[in-house]
Amino acid sequence: MIDVVFLLLIYFMVATEFRRAEASFPMDLPAEGRNIEVMLDEEPLVVLVESAGRFTRDIRVQLEGPWDSIQSLAELKKFLRANRADGFGSGGLFTPEHPILIRPNRETRWEHAVAAYNTAVQSRYTNITLGKP
Amino acid sequence: MKRSAAITLNANMTPMIDVTFLLIVFFVVVSQIVDRDVVPLDLPAPENAAAMVTIAENTMVINVIPLSDGSVAGIVVGPHTIGTNEMEKLSSIVGQGLANGTSEVHLRADRSTQYQYIHQVIEAVRSVGGNPRVHLVVDMEAKL
Repeated sequence: MIDVVFLLLIYFMVATEFRRAEASFPMDLPAEGRNIEVMLDEEPLVVLVESAGRFTRDIRVQLEGPWDSIQSLAELKKFLRANRADGFGSGGLFTPEHPILIRPNRETRWEHAVAAYNTAVQSRYTNITLGKP
Repeated sequence: MKRSAAITLNANMTPMIDVTFLLIVFFVVVSQIVDRDVVPLDLPAPENAAAMVTIAENTMVINVIPLSDGSVAGIVVGPHTIGTNEMEKLSSIVGQGLANGTSEVHLRADRSTQYQYIHQVIEAVRSVGGNPRVHLVVDMEAKL
């Protein structure tokens, strides 16, 4: 019996070690030969992202177009939430299916690109793509 | 005539059960290692990640191996290791996977990797066609 208990103990130790806490953001890719920008029916909302430093918080975001200037992810989230059209009567500009194009520059750290993507997902938009740097 | 005493034959089961358990544990562990062809990476961990935990049968995992300066040492897909200038090879591996029933491509990259390299990988997957779904893998144990 002690044998069995030890075996179970070893099994659970090993099993918990291997189960990593990973999750993912699904992203649909446009078909080959079609530019991401061209395939969109609507003009996408372009979010420019760049890294200002080596840390998670060192991120700079900017909206392309005639929108209010934003600096941080918190402001981006506020903007996206305020402008989302949730059915009848809401004053939002963008439907939840409105294309959002996250465009990090060449040197942007991957965590910052993902953080911007996460902000758009958190704001309950569904059509988000990572564009050309 | 002498009556033979009743003989009861008892097989000792304990060692067999021991061995069986050991085999079960071994195969469970090994199958987990083989299934998750995952390279240890420092994945991005966004605050309050709205990511979802996906358990899909036919996934292909693309691991982008980082260098300390933000560039990429290579790309590991299952048993294949691909150099940064061999994106056609990556496309053909992904194409073969899709032909063999892969439905999802998981992209694992280090948090410090520069986006220009990851974009190359995304483009390589996109050029395969067939609209594969790419999953951007993040760490849910937020280490900030």
